[in-house]
Parts: sequence; structure tokens; C-alpha cells
Amino acid sequence: MAEQRGTVGGPVLTEWFATADLHKLNVYESLGGYSALRKVVKEMTAAQVIDEVKASGLRGRGGADFPTATKWSFVPKDHPGPKYIVVNADESEPGSAKDRYLMENSPHMLIEGAAIASFAIGGHAAWIYIRGEYDLPFEMLRDAISEAHAKGYLGDQPFGTDYPLDVRLYRGHGAYICGEETALLESLEGKRAQPRSRPPFPAVKGAWGMPTAVNNVETLSTVPWIMRHGGAEYAKRGTEKSKGTRMVTVSGDVQKPGNYEIEIGVTYRHIIEELAGGPMPGRKIKVFWPGGSSAKVLPASMLDTSTDLDGLKALGTMGGSGGIIVMDDSHCVVKGAARLLRFYAFESCGKCTPCRVGGNWAVRTYERILAGQGSQIELGILERVSDGLQNGRCLCGLGDAAGWVIESTMRHFRNEYEEHCLHNVCSVEAALVNA
Amino acid sequence: MTTLSERLIEEIRELPAKYPQPRSAVMPALDLAQEEAGYLTAEAMSEVAAALKLDPGYVEGVATFYTLFHLQPIGKHRFYVCTNLSCTLRGANEIVEHVKGAIGVHEAGELSKDGLFSYEEVECLGACEYAPVMRLDHRYEKDLTNQKIDGLIAERRNPIPSPPRGEGQQGGAPGAGFARPGASRGESPLKGEGRKPAAAPRRRTKKSG
Repeated sequence: MAEQRGTVGGPVLTEWFATADLHKLNVYESLGGYSALRKVVKEMTAAQVIDEVKASGLRGRGGADFPTATKWSFVPKDHPGPKYIVVNADESEPGSAKDRYLMENSPHMLIEGAAIASFAIGGHAAWIYIRGEYDLPFEMLRDAISEAHAKGYLGDQPFGTDYPLDVRLYRGHGAYICGEETALLESLEGKRAQPRSRPPFPAVKGAWGMPTAVNNVETLSTVPWIMRHGGAEYAKRGTEKSKGTRMVTVSGDVQKPGNYEIEIGVTYRHIIEELAGGPMPGRKIKVFWPGGSSAKVLPASMLDTSTDLDGLKALGTMGGSGGIIVMDDSHCVVKGAARLLRFYAFESCGKCTPCRVGGNWAVRTYERILAGQGSQIELGILERVSDGLQNGRCLCGLGDAAGWVIESTMRHFRNEYEEHCLHNVCSVEAALVNA
Repeated sequence: MTTLSERLIEEIRELPAKYPQPRSAVMPALDLAQEEAGYLTAEAMSEVAAALKLDPGYVEGVATFYTLFHLQPIGKHRFYVCTNLSCTLRGANEIVEHVKGAIGVHEAGELSKDGLFSYEEVECLGACEYAPVMRLDHRYEKDLTNQKIDGLIAERRNPIPSPPRGEGQQGGAPGAGFARPGASRGESPLKGEGRKPAAAPRRRTKKSG
């Protein structure tokens, strides 16, 4: 278990969320909003902005944990044409709802962060790619962007300077794969969203062939705070290598599902039992997904695991997108895994054979198992398919994630799989019937 | 005689200029076409392709990739019910069954007799803290119950008093929970952002995943 540091400071992202009408520019500004962007464009250089974010230790909150300042510094400084920030607002990871929560509460925070990021990479336009289902956040961002233009904070001369900055919106139309950054770029270019092979990486050849940094909503929403308070202040929060705070969404079998901002380093027990109110009365937590459905599951015996990003990686799982799905003892792990495999099979873009074929293979195997037609053979198939989906056999992580669901649920709940496959019994359901 | 109106074709022709490369206009254009025509017919897609100077097959290829483009007739009001894991754990399959019964259809995509409704099971909508959830008429309906579904249907069958759109849905409860490491058991975070506890654990049924 990683260290737990003492309490330092307060919330970052949700600092102002108790204020009514925070989505309106005048309210956001009255609390200090847009002071960071003003300072950046009027007083700072791009290198200084990157240094400040570097000092904060901020790492990407979309799931890959990649250091944000490093990502920005990969964008070539001497590129003659346009460079872009692309905001990944395609939040579709099962269990994750925090980007929606941030955008609905404080759209200007994202817009300000995206504009600062554009400045940092020497670009002039940020494109927010937002999933099509997010109607309300889309409308709020659209209105907020036009407010910022009207006020002269975006446009040809933001804050009276000669550094044009714009934030644009692009709506997705329903495809989980668009959360993968190169698939998102394909989609933004008006194509079927199929991941690209890398290299070239987006920093060299991204949106419309131009150097691009793709950042998550939460990552960019953190940036204005860092510029207001300094990177060092942000770095006081969190653990040694996982600085700061982050959003988590807790869903499933808990009494108070919700979005919570946590200091990185708190335990899952704290989040699930204290913040989210623990299991339903009379129930026990059985298993949880620590960072979206794509993170390998951890059994309840590991609730004391820290949210430290590298600690989770060392356990073979990840903090991912912060979506914590909790399942209690009234639910069958095999059925849960079967449902998720249906998801991954459906969302496979079809480009890579292991993912396209393996996902469906797993779904059919789960269907046989749940129809009482399982045997030792099905257990073997699941193990082989799980392996075939993983280990970099595909262009993106979707196939791996599908494999991880099978592998991790089988590793921790082999007994439930064997009951289903070998004895056609679901002890979870049997217990409910007898209760 | 075209499927899409002259005005819309004109609007679509102006879309490419809004993007660094014209091809990016294909999804916004299909969106407009679907909004006007109800769903994307082969003719509508061809007209979009012509307006954007793209190959019709290419445009159809894009349309078929994304779940929010419909190539078949759909209800005026569509229930996009999430049945991914978080929603299923909180009864989404029962909600789907209730929706089917209430609008009188047997399968996803089927139109209700009055043509007003259809439903689809969809993947995670990104509102897991409000599970079970669905998207209906461009808004999320949260914490679904059978009674709530009945109310939503009734409002749309008899839409006289006021359009049931969007009011008071912003954000979720204000006030962020901020957890500090090392907080002792029982100590509450600075502010609670969680939602009210549900009444009782839900019984599992055969269908839930």
C-alpha cells in the first residue's frame, strides 16, 4: 500500500462548485475565473506555462496517466502550420461520468484550460470533441464559448493581446472507440473512427495532419487552478509520484453513488465506504473495478488499496478514468463479465482481427455458460481468448481491456466460473432465492 | 424533387468552410439530414454526399459506423436505455422490460403503433451515478423507475401543458465531496456530493447481467 500523506489544502476542481450559476461567465469570473488565462496570454511565455504545469506533476486523467507537460513539450515548437489541442470529451468508459459532471458544473473551467493549453503548445485553436449523447454539456459549452467570445477572452485579440485563441466544438455520434485518441482524430476528420497505427504520434501528425496534443476534460480543467496557485501548490497534494487530486465516479451497489474529488492516495475503502456510503443494507461488497470497466477488478479484500496511480499499475490494474464500479454479494461476477464482454465486442471498430473476432468469441462462450451449456472447454476458451486479446496484439487498448475483464474476474472468482461451467449452478442466485 | 429541403442542402454546402478540412463536415451534415428527415434514407445520404462532393458510399460508411445515425425509421421519441454494468446492477433490465410493455413493442427499434415511440438498449451514457438512466428527447432521465417511465410516456402522448424538456437538470447536486487522506472513520468529507441512499438492495432477476 502506498503512503498516505497528511491533509494538505482543499479541493481543486470542485473548489467553486457550491456556487450557484457557476456556468455563467460573470459568476465564474467573480470567483477568479479567467484570471489564469489573462495572466498567461499577457505575461507569460509558452515555455513558462509548460514549466508551471511540469512543476505540478499533473498527469492525464483520461486513463493513461501520462504527464501533461511532457505531452505538450512533444509538440514541435518550430512547426510552421497550425497546431491543435484536441479535448477528449468523448467520455464513454463504463462507470465514468466525471467529465460530464465537470462540464455541466463549470464549462468555463474547461474552456479556460483548453485555451491555456493551446497557448502552451503554440497553437491557436482547441477542438472539444464531445460525445453526441451529451446534449446538455454541449449546449452549456456552446453558450459558454460564445460568452467568452463576446467578452473578448477568446477571439482574435484575447485580453487585448495579439495572440488569437479559439475553442471549437465537434460532436461525436456514438462510438466508444472515439475515446481512443487516434480514433477520435479520425472521427474529427469525418471518418469512421478506427485507431491509427503509431508512429507517427499525434504530437507530430495529429488532427488534420497537424501536430496535436489530445487531453482529457479533467486534465485541462485542472490547468487554470495550477496557473492561479502555482504548480508547487498543486504538487503538495497527492502521493510522491501521483500528484494532486482527481475525480472519481462511484456507481453500482453503493448507498451514495456520485462524483467525488479525492486527493490521490486515499484508499478505495475510504471512497467506497465513507464517501459513497458503503454497500446497501445487509449486503457485502464483493468486487470493484478501480478505474472504469477496463481496469482489472480487485476483490473486496483489496479495498485498502491506495488510489496512487503507480501503485495500481504495480498491481496490474489502473486508476484509469476514475470510474469505480462496485458490485455486492447479490450479483454474479460471471454475468457481470458477460455483460461487459458484450459491450467490448459491440464497440470493437473491427480493424484488428484479435479484437473483432475475440470479443465475439468470448460473448458466445459466455452465452453458452450462462445457458447452462458450459464445461471445462468453455473455461479453456475464455482463458485463450483473454490471452489472444491482450499484449499489444491490437492497435489500441480496447482488445486488451476486454481481455482484462475475462482474466481478472477469472483470477479472483474462479469458483463462480467453475460453478457455472462445471455444475450449472449460480450460488449467488441460489442464495437470493433461499434468503 | 429531393428528399432534403433546398434550404438544408444550402446549409450543408456551407458546412465544410467551418473546418480545417472539408471532410469533417460529414457528421454535422448527416446530423442535420437526420434531424430533418427523421432517419437517414439512401437518398438523403446521397444528397448529403453530393452537397459535400463526397462519394455516397463513403458517406454511408460513416453513417453506419456511429450508433446515433439511424438508417431505419425510428420513433419520434426514442428511449435510449443504458444497460451497461452500472445501470444493470441497479435494475436496467427491468426498466427495458417495462418500457417495452408500456409502449407495446417486442424488440429494439420497433415502432409503437402510434409511431411515437421506439426504444434501444445502449451502452454507457456516462451518468452512472444516476443509474439506471436513459436518454430521451436530448435529455437524460435519471434514477429511473417504472412510475417515472409511465409519466414520461403520458406526457408525450398528451403534450398539452408544457414541453417536458430539460428544466432543472443541470449539473447534479452542487457541492463537491473532497476527501482527505487519513481521515478517520466516520469523519465526513468537507462537503457531501453523494446522492441519497436507495431504499433497499435490489433483488436479482434472471435477466440481469
